[in-house]
Amino acid sequence: MSRAEHYAGAALLLTMMAVTVLPFLSIFTTALHPSGTLPRGIDWPAHPQWGNFVDAVQVANMGVLLRSSTFIVVAVVPVALVLATMAGFAIGLLRIPGARLLLLLFVFGLTLPFEGIITPLYFLEREMGILNTRFAIVLPLIGLFMPFGVFWMRAHFANVPHDISEAARVDGANTWTLFWRIHVPLARPAISSLGVLMAVWSWNQFLLALVLVEDPSRRTMAGALGAFQGHYATDIPLLCAGTMLILLPTLLVYVAFQRHIIAALLQGSVKG
Amino acid sequence: MTADRVIRRTPLRRGVRRRALIGWLFVAPALLMYTVFVLQPLGLTIQYSLYRWNGVGPATWVGLSNYLTVLRDPDLVGSILNSFKLVLFFSIVPVSLALVTASVIHRVATGRLGGLTRTVLFLPQVIPLVAAGIIWGWLLSLPGLINQALTAVGLGGVTRAWLGDFDTALPAVGLIGIWVLLGFCTVLLLAGMTKIDPALYESARLDGANWLREFLSVTLPSLRYEIGVCLTVTVVAALAAFDIVYVSTGGGPGNSTAVPGIQIYILTFLERQVGLASALAVILMLLVLAVILPIQRLNREDRS
Amino acid sequence: MRRHIAVVGSALLVALLAGCAGAGSGGPQQGTSATTKPEAPTCGTDPVVLNAHFETGFDLPFKLSEEFTKQYPKVTWDIKQDQFQNLISATPRLLSGDNPPDLIRLPTMVSLVKDGLLKNLDGYAAGFGWDTWPAAQLAQNRVAADGTRGSGSLYAMGLNSSLTGVFYNKQLAAQVGMTQPPATLAEFDALLAAAKAKGTLPVMVWNASASGGGLAFPLQQLMAAYGPTQPINDWIFQKPGATIDTPSNRTAAEHLQRWIKAGYFPTDANAIQYTDANARFRGGEGLFMFNGDWENANYDKGMAGKVGFFLFPPKDAGASVAAMSSPLTYGIGAKAKNAGCAAFFFNWVATNEQARKINVAVGGSNPGGPASLAIPPAAAGSVTGETLAAGAKVAAANGAMDFIANSTGSIFAKGWTPELQKMVGNKQDAAGLLSTVQAEYKRELEQGS
Repeated sequence: MSRAEHYAGAALLLTMMAVTVLPFLSIFTTALHPSGTLPRGIDWPAHPQWGNFVDAVQVANMGVLLRSSTFIVVAVVPVALVLATMAGFAIGLLRIPGARLLLLLFVFGLTLPFEGIITPLYFLEREMGILNTRFAIVLPLIGLFMPFGVFWMRAHFANVPHDISEAARVDGANTWTLFWRIHVPLARPAISSLGVLMAVWSWNQFLLALVLVEDPSRRTMAGALGAFQGHYATDIPLLCAGTMLILLPTLLVYVAFQRHIIAALLQGSVKG
Repeated sequence: MTADRVIRRTPLRRGVRRRALIGWLFVAPALLMYTVFVLQPLGLTIQYSLYRWNGVGPATWVGLSNYLTVLRDPDLVGSILNSFKLVLFFSIVPVSLALVTASVIHRVATGRLGGLTRTVLFLPQVIPLVAAGIIWGWLLSLPGLINQALTAVGLGGVTRAWLGDFDTALPAVGLIGIWVLLGFCTVLLLAGMTKIDPALYESARLDGANWLREFLSVTLPSLRYEIGVCLTVTVVAALAAFDIVYVSTGGGPGNSTAVPGIQIYILTFLERQVGLASALAVILMLLVLAVILPIQRLNREDRS
Repeated sequence: MRRHIAVVGSALLVALLAGCAGAGSGGPQQGTSATTKPEAPTCGTDPVVLNAHFETGFDLPFKLSEEFTKQYPKVTWDIKQDQFQNLISATPRLLSGDNPPDLIRLPTMVSLVKDGLLKNLDGYAAGFGWDTWPAAQLAQNRVAADGTRGSGSLYAMGLNSSLTGVFYNKQLAAQVGMTQPPATLAEFDALLAAAKAKGTLPVMVWNASASGGGLAFPLQQLMAAYGPTQPINDWIFQKPGATIDTPSNRTAAEHLQRWIKAGYFPTDANAIQYTDANARFRGGEGLFMFNGDWENANYDKGMAGKVGFFLFPPKDAGASVAAMSSPLTYGIGAKAKNAGCAAFFFNWVATNEQARKINVAVGGSNPGGPASLAIPPAAAGSVTGETLAAGAKVAAANGAMDFIANSTGSIFAKGWTPELQKMVGNKQDAAGLLSTVQAEYKRELEQGS
């Protein structure tokens, strides 16, 4: 492999990274411009207005939204993880009768667009009496995460060597002990990365929040992002500041956990 | 593998049935949530599609006439065609670009640069699609960054409001999709590449293959599964697109970026034609299946 | 088991009785007797919490609610605010749900009335004396039994009456030689040409799908200049046989197309949203902007003293003026718990001195109400002074129109906006614009939306 190839390759990668990052930079610099102006492109302002971030928090009621989004994530992710891991275990490792069909049923859900079910979901929730509560978003999200969650955990469990299970069975372990004591600890990378993905997706939910929750302050941060645009009738830098603040939690979580996510993806594929 | 089969054929029947029952108990909670909150609404959508209903008053049975209305309405059919055009941008381009990027990383930058690239490229996956739409709405506007950059390299004559121009609006939305999905595919393909047996490359090199031949005869075939997953996810993203389009163009200009997701939204909430919206949603789902199933068949790697 | 039946049975009986007893008080009142009792309720002496849904980005209702609580401390507010687009889709759900709003911003009315979701306000109108106010104020909020607007029972009230016209940048106007507002359409055309020749953008406008096609404003003004306003209002009010595709409207649309082709609007109009257009106009881009007085406060903030307003001129000198003017429509849920208090609030907004002052200062619009009440003066140097004076002229000339975007629930999103965008993109002509919109209008009326 020649030097030229090396440099050309590196140049390509750097370009792609620059293109990926540029939009974030643009919003960041725009957020620092004086409130009410209309900056063009990337343009570091003469007097950076760091106060805009504070203003955005106040005007958009972000404290409330932060709490709301956090509640939703905390309510959804642990439950969804437990459910998906158990189901993935049963389908991928125990190989219960009908496992193939079950998997197909779950994977079918991966192809469903949200628009296909949002309207009946609304009426369903109204009958159940949970509309406009935070559970309006929490419960369907748990259900909607099952396809990917079961698929992901099943892929992990299907690739675990059988001798571990057999040895445990010979020692007299029942199914629950097998699951809880042996396989769950082994599956920690897969579970934690799935958890991070689900947390990010819950945080970023837009359509469900928009339709199922009347009160904008009970939606997710992303769900209220659309409302940002109407409120800031005159203030684009504030809008950008608000957008950045909404992005920040997910970005931080991602940067902290990106090794996990990518490692799990790799692990799933390497074993295959 | 065979040892397992032998062991599994000889347990007592009672033990097997009990184990199966316990296994099913493990699946039951997930199945319950999925059935109540996904399958049941799906069934209801199909039911709604057979009625004319405004969401509040009584519903009238109309059988399949909603489906006929959808297929005869040029705007609605046009939205379906638009979403297929988006497949080109959301799916074909990211997968191809990702193949190139992943192979470059795999070959050239296995160290820190590779890891950094992976992390950075995946970033767009982490933000709400709505935010991506807003950000890119800004970048693609007349005074935005894209036009600034084009002017800087001397292409000032090409500048325009990309999302407001009839010919470029859909490709511009496609560009947003590429930005969002490229990282996902790159990471996935890269992971697939790391599991390719280096011995295959060795023998190819011994046969005198250059980079391209290596790529075509070793890399590509080994990545069939990963490419299949990439294609599946991105095709669904294209056909079911809503967030990005809603926020960046709202379906305009004219109907050039109107996709089924937007039309379903308008039909349900602005026109209050729940039956018609449901019919369009069912057609959309059937289309998604029609495209996804062949891809799955093509990539059937037996993973039993 | 038997005890179960007994319990259930008595519960049913109680429910039945309660239902009978309660039948007269809260149900949807569409189709009830023609003789409505005049009611003039107050908010009472017990604490009341008004359940309200406002639109984001407009301060007026919030300021009014604060003042109301100051004057009536027992009444507090539970206000939810949402983007206008979201309100359009959420309103039917909110009104038919378990917690119907006492006060809600209404984007459209007719379908809501047909479904019995809005409270009939005739009783309050008689009791508070609203029907002695200038009839034009309430006309747009009336829906007849056949579903047409403009006459019939009252189903909503406006917090004020807005006015639309042409805002202009005074500095750019001086540069182009404009010494006074144009008196005829021809003079307006001349100013546009002069601006273009000088390299100034003649008209700033928004036409992106996300905000809806702002070109509908100049289009409607041209229609009113070339022909009478009654047919336009009839079409908006869904009167049987009404059509927007008339010869004079076609001439108006052709005029608009000439403006587009002459480059009087920004080239990227189809990508400009409402907020961007205002920001750019305030930043000095554009000599004119077609907009309404709800933006007065924002224009005053950004262009204090540098912005002016005039009514769109008629075709011939001295002919009567016309403009879009519509109430800031709010409704009361048919099953709202505090309907009487909400009605009292409506009355208070239009008649209370302090409320009227807030209306002018914050909302920039005419607070409405009885003709005998003087309109509070606007702050010195504010463009609101000009819009209020203009509003009086339009009222005197009986030239008020509703907006063509409001004729059906989705005519804006599915008719005007895409076709106007196509016209900008040179893919649609005047005749096609009107015939397509008319066809869409007919289709929606047949569907019952």
